[in-house]
Amino acid sequence: MSAEPILEGVGVGKEFRGLRAVDAVSFSIPRGSICGLIGPNGAGKSTLFNLITGYYQPTYGSIHFMGERLEGLSTVEIARRGIGRAFQIAKPFASLSVRENVRIGALFGRDGPRDVERTVEEALSLMGLGMLAERAAGELTVGNLRKLEVARAVAARPLLLLADEPCAGLNPAETEEMLACLRRVRTAGTTVWLVEHDMRAVMSISERVFVIDAGEKIAEGTPAEIAADPRVIAAYLGADYVLTEHTRSQLAEQ
Amino acid sequence: MSTRWFAPAPTLLGLCALALLAALPLALTPFEIRVAQQLFLAAAMSLAWNLLGGFAGYWSFGHAAFVGIGAFAAGLVGTRLMPPELAAGWGMGIAVGAGGLASAGIAALIAFPLLRLRGIYFAIAMLGVSQVAGELSANVEWIGGGLGINLPDAAPDWLAPETYFYQLLLGCLAVTFVVAVSVKQSRFGYGLIAIREDEDTARMLGVPTERFKIVAYVLSALLVGVQGALLAYSLGYFTTQSVFRLEFSLNMIVHALIGGIGTLAGPIIGASIMVVLTQVVLGNLLELHLFITGAVVVVMVLAAPGGILGLWHDYKHHRAARRAGAAA
Repeated sequence: MSAEPILEGVGVGKEFRGLRAVDAVSFSIPRGSICGLIGPNGAGKSTLFNLITGYYQPTYGSIHFMGERLEGLSTVEIARRGIGRAFQIAKPFASLSVRENVRIGALFGRDGPRDVERTVEEALSLMGLGMLAERAAGELTVGNLRKLEVARAVAARPLLLLADEPCAGLNPAETEEMLACLRRVRTAGTTVWLVEHDMRAVMSISERVFVIDAGEKIAEGTPAEIAADPRVIAAYLGADYVLTEHTRSQLAEQ
Repeated sequence: MSTRWFAPAPTLLGLCALALLAALPLALTPFEIRVAQQLFLAAAMSLAWNLLGGFAGYWSFGHAAFVGIGAFAAGLVGTRLMPPELAAGWGMGIAVGAGGLASAGIAALIAFPLLRLRGIYFAIAMLGVSQVAGELSANVEWIGGGLGINLPDAAPDWLAPETYFYQLLLGCLAVTFVVAVSVKQSRFGYGLIAIREDEDTARMLGVPTERFKIVAYVLSALLVGVQGALLAYSLGYFTTQSVFRLEFSLNMIVHALIGGIGTLAGPIIGASIMVVLTQVVLGNLLELHLFITGAVVVVMVLAAPGGILGLWHDYKHHRAARRAGAAA
C-alpha cells in the first residue's frame, strides 16, 4: 500500500477495570481505501471503533487522523474533523423521515451547514434511498435501515467512514447492494473501514484486512493473505472455512 | 442556517389572526377577557417548556421555578429598585425584562449539573429545584414571598387593566411562538430533535449536545421567566403560593401532551382545550371539575399518545395509505 495513511494507531489499548478490551493494536489505513476489520465476537472491534471516535479514551497508545492526535478530543470534535460512523445496531431517529435523518447528518457534518439540501440529495442517491426520502425512518426494512445508517453518516461528508457491521441481518442480494453502496461511497472520496462478520462480503470488498482476537491484532494483510493465515484460521475462520467461487476469483485477481 | 422557515403566506395569515385577536376584547366580556389571558399565558408557558421537553426530550417537572423566579425578580425590581415615578409604564418593561434575565441567569448556573441527568432523574431534579426556589422565596425575608409583593398599577389610564394584560400576554404568546418556530426550523432545532431521539448517536454525528441542551434550557427559562413576570404584574399582588405552583409545571406538560408534544401548534391547541374546558365548560361544576379534567388527560394519553396533532397525522397517513392501496 503506497497511499499515505489517513488514520494511524500505534499501540492503542483500552482497559476496563483491569480487563484489556483492546491490547496494543497498531494499524494504518491508507487514504482512499476500503479496509476490513474482522475477529470473533467480543474481540474488541467495536471498542476499537469507539476509541477512534472518542466514545472511549485509550488507556495507552496514540491515534492520528490526518496527522492530528485524536486522544483528548471529544466525539463531537472528532466527528467535525471528518470521521463518520455507522453503528452496528442501526440507530435511526425513528420518528423523523429518512430525509430529516440524513439532513441532521449534513447539518452537523465536516463542512457545517452549507449546501445542506444538495448534500442530502447526494447522500440519498448514493445509498439508493431517494424513493423512500419522505418515509418515517421507523417504518423501514432492516436493509433500508442499514442504508439509512450509512447515508446519515455519509451526509456529514466524512473523510473516513467507520462502518460497524453494515451487512448484519441482510440477505445476499441486500448485502451485494450494500457493498455496491460502500464502493460508491469510496469513489465519492471517503475512505471506508468496516467491521463485518460476513466473510464473503468483507473479503470481496476490502483491500486490506485487520484481524483482532481477544483485543490483540493477530494478522494484517490482503484478503488472500488473511484467508491463508493459520492464526486467523485457528482463531476465527475455522478449519472448514471455504471461500465461494466468486470471492476466490476476486482474491485471485488481487 | 440553510433551512428556510419564513413563509410569506402563513406569516401573513398569522399576522391577520394576531390583529383579529388583539381587537377581540372589544367584543368580549371582562370574564371572557380574563379566560383569554389565562389561555395565552398557559399556551406561552407550554410552548416555552416544549423547547426543552418537546424538542430535546428533557421533561422538566419543575418549570414553575422559572415562573416564580421571573415573578419575584420583576417584583423586587419593580418595587424596590425603581423610583416610584418609573414603576408604572416603562418601569414594568424593565422589571419584566429583569424577571426573564434572572430566570435565564439561574438556569444557566444550574444547567450544567442538572442536564447531566437524563429522563426521570432530570424531571425529579427540576421538581426539587422548584420546591427549593419556592421555599426560599417564602422564607427569605428580603424576597418577601411569605407576605407577598404589591406591584404598582402598570396599565395606562386609557385602557382597562384586563384588556392591557390581554394584549401583553397575547404579544408574549406571539413572540414565544416565533421563537419556537425559528428554533424548530433551525440547525439548533434539528440538533435538539436529534438529542431527543438518541443523544449518544447525536453526539457521534457531531451535534454539540451539551451546549445545545444548555442553550435550550436557558432559552426556555428566559421565556417562562418573562411570562412569570407578566403574570405577577397582571395579578398586582402575589405571594409564593401564587407563582410557585405545581399546577403550572403540570399544565405546561399536560397542554403539550394533549395538543402534540414536540410540535409547534400542539401546546396552543392543548392549552386552548384545557383552559376552555376548565374555566368555561366546567366553571360552574366545581365538584366535578378536577375529576373530569383528570379523566380527559388519562383518556388522551391512553388513546392518543401523540396528542391531537398526532391523531391528525395518523389519520392523514392512513388515508394516504388507503388511497395508495385503492390505486394499486
